[in-house]
Amino acid sequence: MAAIEIRGLEKSYPSTFGTRRIPVLRGIDLSVEAGEIYGFLGPNGAGKTTTIKCILGLLTPDKGEIRLLGRESGSLESRKRLGFLPENPYFYEYLSIRELFDFTGRLFNMAPARRRARVDEVVHLVGLEGRENTKLGKCSKGMIQRAGLGQALVHDPEVLILDEPFSGLDPVGRKELRDLVLSLKQAGRTIFFSSHILQDMELMVDRVAIILGGRISREGHLDELVSRTVRYYELVFEGLDEKAAAGIGLDVIRRGERMIARVETLEEINQKIRAVHGASGRVVAMTPLKLTLEDIFMEEVAR
Amino acid sequence: MQAKSLALFLALILAAGALQFHYDTRVEYFADRPAFVTLPDGDTLRILSFGYRNLAADILFIWAVQFYSATHLTNRFDYVEHIFNVITDLNPRFKAPYLVGSWIMGLEGKRFRMAIRLLEKGARNNPEEWIFEYDAGFYAHRELKDVDLAEKLFKRAAARPNAPQLIRRKWAHMVYMQDNLEYAYQLWKELERTATDQLARDSAFHHLYQIDFERDRLRVERAVRAFRKRFGRHPAELEELVRRGILTAVPRDYQSREYIYDPRTGTITARRDYKWKSSY
Amino acid sequence: MRLMAIARNTFREAVRHKVFYLLIFFGMFFAFSSRFVSMLSVGDHKKVLMDVGLAAIHFFSVLVAIFTGINLVYKEIEKKTIYNILSKPITRGEFVLGKFTGLALTLLAALGSMAVMFFLFLFVTTGSFEPRCLVFFALLYIELLVITSLSLVFSSFSTPILSSIFTITIYLVGSVLWTFQEFKTRLHEPFSRYLATGLYYLLPNLDKFNIKNEIVLQTPLPAARVLAAAAYGLVYVAALLTLAVVIFRRRELK
Repeated sequence: MAAIEIRGLEKSYPSTFGTRRIPVLRGIDLSVEAGEIYGFLGPNGAGKTTTIKCILGLLTPDKGEIRLLGRESGSLESRKRLGFLPENPYFYEYLSIRELFDFTGRLFNMAPARRRARVDEVVHLVGLEGRENTKLGKCSKGMIQRAGLGQALVHDPEVLILDEPFSGLDPVGRKELRDLVLSLKQAGRTIFFSSHILQDMELMVDRVAIILGGRISREGHLDELVSRTVRYYELVFEGLDEKAAAGIGLDVIRRGERMIARVETLEEINQKIRAVHGASGRVVAMTPLKLTLEDIFMEEVAR
Repeated sequence: MQAKSLALFLALILAAGALQFHYDTRVEYFADRPAFVTLPDGDTLRILSFGYRNLAADILFIWAVQFYSATHLTNRFDYVEHIFNVITDLNPRFKAPYLVGSWIMGLEGKRFRMAIRLLEKGARNNPEEWIFEYDAGFYAHRELKDVDLAEKLFKRAAARPNAPQLIRRKWAHMVYMQDNLEYAYQLWKELERTATDQLARDSAFHHLYQIDFERDRLRVERAVRAFRKRFGRHPAELEELVRRGILTAVPRDYQSREYIYDPRTGTITARRDYKWKSSY
Repeated sequence: MRLMAIARNTFREAVRHKVFYLLIFFGMFFAFSSRFVSMLSVGDHKKVLMDVGLAAIHFFSVLVAIFTGINLVYKEIEKKTIYNILSKPITRGEFVLGKFTGLALTLLAALGSMAVMFFLFLFVTTGSFEPRCLVFFALLYIELLVITSLSLVFSSFSTPILSSIFTITIYLVGSVLWTFQEFKTRLHEPFSRYLATGLYYLLPNLDKFNIKNEIVLQTPLPAARVLAAAAYGLVYVAALLTLAVVIFRRRELK
């Protein structure tokens, strides 16, 4: 059974004076399997947050159906199994992190003993030991982000929905989050998250969907999407200046003492290497590069 | 789900309405409430109304009109002066409350001095209006039978700008009623002179006739008393008084006609007698 | 359970609000200043003391009710904490009722402290204790609940400024609505009469909670009357809460 299943989701907002309707989602179809990490990608205004709000039942779709673990979205049952980290999370400023977790636990009707134990666990899980009594109003952005993750996990949900979870985290934090998400996947949880930070997404997701202008532009396994053959080669050399490089037909970017050029085919590469040697240069590195997620994304946007 | 909740809401609102109705049947808001113990005075309310004092005056006035038309409440006049003082303090130039208030106080509540007080306040605050003192004069004359007060009020009213002539006539009449006959005669003479219509002329004529008669009557009575002292009897006719040198001439009425002399009483009667003073 | 969680939270937030304490302070300040006012009057100082004191408490507690109520829901929406809460397995109804309960507890705390201070003050200055005032405070509390639920209804769909305007307007109208009782029978046109009658029963009649006069002047106050007033208030509050839930359920949270 799919963890999250969306069919034909449409949603529009009334314009400022309520006369017209501005469509935001024009028919979304996607499906998240249980136990996988699913990435949701799109530029600002494409409808990511709107989709997520529909999944959570914060908004009612105009058309279409959303099911969460077989249950209707927005129903109490579906929300019991869900953990949600909002984008730019706002929590009650006067609560401490620990109090927030406890409050969340109460909202899930957790039994007191289990709640207390779980709060301790989660504090540890998100790396906030020693700081769990800080009032949220006084926390740094990174701490708030971790607290947000924590409150999404308090009741040990089957499905986690994370909206821009990496924002506000430093590189260490990002690695920790990646590790946490992966370990959750190991434990059989499903994670659905939206992000702008494509590099992190690339390192984690099983499947990905790109949303553009209210529609899913491309969807599929990451491997499939980026499994083209080598797209181009990157040649790094030194000993030539820009003029000399232009002389052998290379479009270069300088990096310190070295030059970097992009070469399309394998045949061309050998040709260019010979040319560099001929001009008394030295090849330092040659790297075959595949499409990154960023490339795919930019491609979609360009279309 | 929503439908059930809406139905619940309607049921509850109806229940609240029913409870309100039940409450109303038990509690008489107006009758047994010392309700206005806490209505602050005008100056305080002026501050409290935050600049909306004209509106406050309007609202209070409208309320008062409704309240005082609830004629089944017999104790409703307890605070009528306070209420109308507040209204007129809030907006001294709002003219209707002075008049309406005076009607309520006077004609309904039979508290005429109170009504006059309110009207005098109206005149103080609105010196360009003659109506307040005019109305007050009426109450003083008709209800209180206080001619002196009426005279004062009509005089003031007559002095206001654009006061119609009739007020002056009322005033002059009061002067007459005060038995200040000389002054009254002067006033009526002037009124006769300045009369612009037949009614005014007739009115002046009647008054002058009466005043003339009363003055003559007094003179005759004095003369008869003098005659009686000397001769121990009333004169048989007015000419006797002249013959005896007590009077210089036989008095004639305003139309130069003769009076009717009664030797038994020693007094004269006129062909016309406006019994203004006796109907008083 | 979940409702109580929201309630506790709401209470905590309201009580940490500076405005809350400010209003209570002002309430007590004016109540205490009645001491000086009473010096200006001749004769019955105690009556003036009680009159001004109760009036001050009334006025300021009404302000507390209006402004805390409105702010609390709007702040949730503005600060987006509401998205997080509603993504939890909690119904919109539980949310609204939880907020209301929290506010009710806050008002209880506020009014309770003002009442205690009032009684202490009265005892210290006049050496007497007026248990009748408890009835006043009880009915005042119900009046505050009506106001709170009113502000909750409005803030479930509109901005704080509009909500405050609506709530204050209806509060003022509700205070003088008793004058309509006579007035509506005098209207000639049937349409106006029906309209006035409808409004009279629809809008909250708040005057029945204002028993200051009866308390201060020691006039008789039958228990049936107090109970009728309380029943009316509670039923009306229930109606308003139902309405607030109905409206809030339809609200889109963009």
